[in-house]
Amino acid sequence: MLGNTLITLDRRAVLGGMVGVALLASSGIAQAADAKSLLRAAYDNWRSDASQTTVKMTIHRPSWERKMTMISYTRGEDDALVRFIAPAKDAGNATLKLGKNTWLFNPKLNQVVKLPASLMAQPWMGSDFSYSDLARSEDILKHYNLTVTGTKSSGGHKVHVIQAVPKRGAPVVWGKQVVKVRDDGIMMELAFYDQDMALVRTMSTDRIRKVAGRDFPVVMTMKTTAAPNEWTRMETIDAKFDVDLPNYLFTKSNLTNPRD
Amino acid sequence: MMETFRILAPLAWRNLWRNPRRTVITLIVVSVGLYSILFFAALIEAWADASRDRALNVMTGSGQIHTQGYADDPTIGQVFPQAGGELLAYLEGPEISGWAPRVRVPAVVQSEYRTMPLTLIGVNPTGEKAISIVPDGIVEGAYLSGPDDPTIFLGQSMVDRLKTRLGKRVIILAQNSDGTLAEQSFEVGGIYDGFSEIEDMLGFAGLETVQTLLGAEGQLSEIAYRVTDEARLDQVGHDLGQIIPELDVQSWKDLSPMAAMAEESMGVAVFIWLWVMFILMAFGIINTQLMAVFERVHEFGLLQALGMRPRMILLIVTLESSILVGIGTLMGIAGAVATIQAMSGGLDISFLAEGAAMAGVGQVLYLKLDWGQLIELSIIVWLLSVAVTYWPARKASKFSPVEAMAHVS
Repeated sequence: MLGNTLITLDRRAVLGGMVGVALLASSGIAQAADAKSLLRAAYDNWRSDASQTTVKMTIHRPSWERKMTMISYTRGEDDALVRFIAPAKDAGNATLKLGKNTWLFNPKLNQVVKLPASLMAQPWMGSDFSYSDLARSEDILKHYNLTVTGTKSSGGHKVHVIQAVPKRGAPVVWGKQVVKVRDDGIMMELAFYDQDMALVRTMSTDRIRKVAGRDFPVVMTMKTTAAPNEWTRMETIDAKFDVDLPNYLFTKSNLTNPRD
Repeated sequence: MMETFRILAPLAWRNLWRNPRRTVITLIVVSVGLYSILFFAALIEAWADASRDRALNVMTGSGQIHTQGYADDPTIGQVFPQAGGELLAYLEGPEISGWAPRVRVPAVVQSEYRTMPLTLIGVNPTGEKAISIVPDGIVEGAYLSGPDDPTIFLGQSMVDRLKTRLGKRVIILAQNSDGTLAEQSFEVGGIYDGFSEIEDMLGFAGLETVQTLLGAEGQLSEIAYRVTDEARLDQVGHDLGQIIPELDVQSWKDLSPMAAMAEESMGVAVFIWLWVMFILMAFGIINTQLMAVFERVHEFGLLQALGMRPRMILLIVTLESSILVGIGTLMGIAGAVATIQAMSGGLDISFLAEGAAMAGVGQVLYLKLDWGQLIELSIIVWLLSVAVTYWPARKASKFSPVEAMAHVS
């Protein structure tokens, strides 16, 4: 599901990255290559993953708050299926992403809608995440120049700060993104800056816990700077990694008529 | 008959000046009334012209060429090859004063903060400057420099809504010719303002840039043209239809039915104003003429006693009114002509600029002297005014001589 945003790095990849840091000293070019390989390795590793997670999403607004629960399946980098299971009002709503295409299923309308490009930036299920947040995992590798700008120690781990500046002509709106990645491959923070380098929104990891035998960012919050009282929190309740998922999961017929 | 007139005319003329003050007041009523009708007609005509020109100068031109299906489905699927051969020769010919090739598709523009719908138009700056006033509406930055310009030209209010500004990047998303999503980053190279009818919706980029983005090299979705002589608009449309029978050639009357309708309704407005003013004038004229008649009851009685026929009395009173209203009409015409001539250099209405812009009109109105309309309206007013004086005149002719002579005023 939040495939693109929740980056879970494999230890090996990070190790490779660390070796890279050691070897390539601190020249700017070397740093860029290093930052890229760090994120690239993370994605390469993550792509091979198949996962099944249960997530509780809390959308908070000054005057109301709502909680939804969903099960999500991911296969590789491109395919994902998210199905809401609670509350009853939202249960059955599902989003299927195959490659670049996204379909929505609404059980009340009993209809599948292919998401048009114009809606990609719209909020997903009323949250602070947009559809493109869900869909654009590799953007940061493809369209940005990456630099490691610092490394901090925190709670026995090292946290790398990677600054991502869009390449010339890249189709991205942001002025830059700043990614904080812990040395064991957990994304700590992802901050989006506008072209004046003012912070627009931040996704941060609030809690890390062992899930299915590995450290996992179980609580993540997306906040918009302009609206400090509004946020969306994703809390992972249950997760299985490297599971065998049947192919039928990622089909439009399964989107409409779930077999499980 | 002429004999009668020769006697009656000096009589009527002298009668008019028996009470100069009343006559002058009536003259003023008539001349001011007519003046306002004529001036209003010229003003509304100028307004109609301005709003039509405006509507056409912004984007429409005199006419446009599309594929047959474009009106129903204005996407990148509805394209035709860039003008060449006979079509190009005609567009460059004497009938057409300017033409602009365009690729026009619905798109989405994205900034860090907002995503907005937009009509993306790939233009050739040279062609665009020949037929459209949008390039002149620039408030910041520069207009596109050529068909391969990589920047985008956006409206001020779109820029405000996107919370972006000159020099910043925005992303344009549009459907590619193969059905997939095309996206490209554009720097905001220029900002225009002052066209409330389009600024929220249109974004301009280089023609070739857009063709490349959409995978439609050498393809157009629209050609807008301007005719040299407006009177030959239909002929030009017909000629183009002969050259490119497979395409859809439409004049501005089809493309901007509102502008066409506005032009027609302006004529109606002039006549409504004419009636309003005429009714006011009629009250003034009838009132003074009735007064004049009642002051002269004794005199009319005497004239009848001396052998004047009632019909002659009717004639003499009508003649008085005709002369009176006639002079007033001439004064009104003179005043209106003088005013219109004085303003023919352009009437600056920038003091009501905002309202005018809302009504889709530029800031200067050019009043034109339309003699045909002027004389038509003047004659209508004169005839109607004479017609209403039939009432006092008839009254004057109906007095019985005996009673009338006994009447002391």
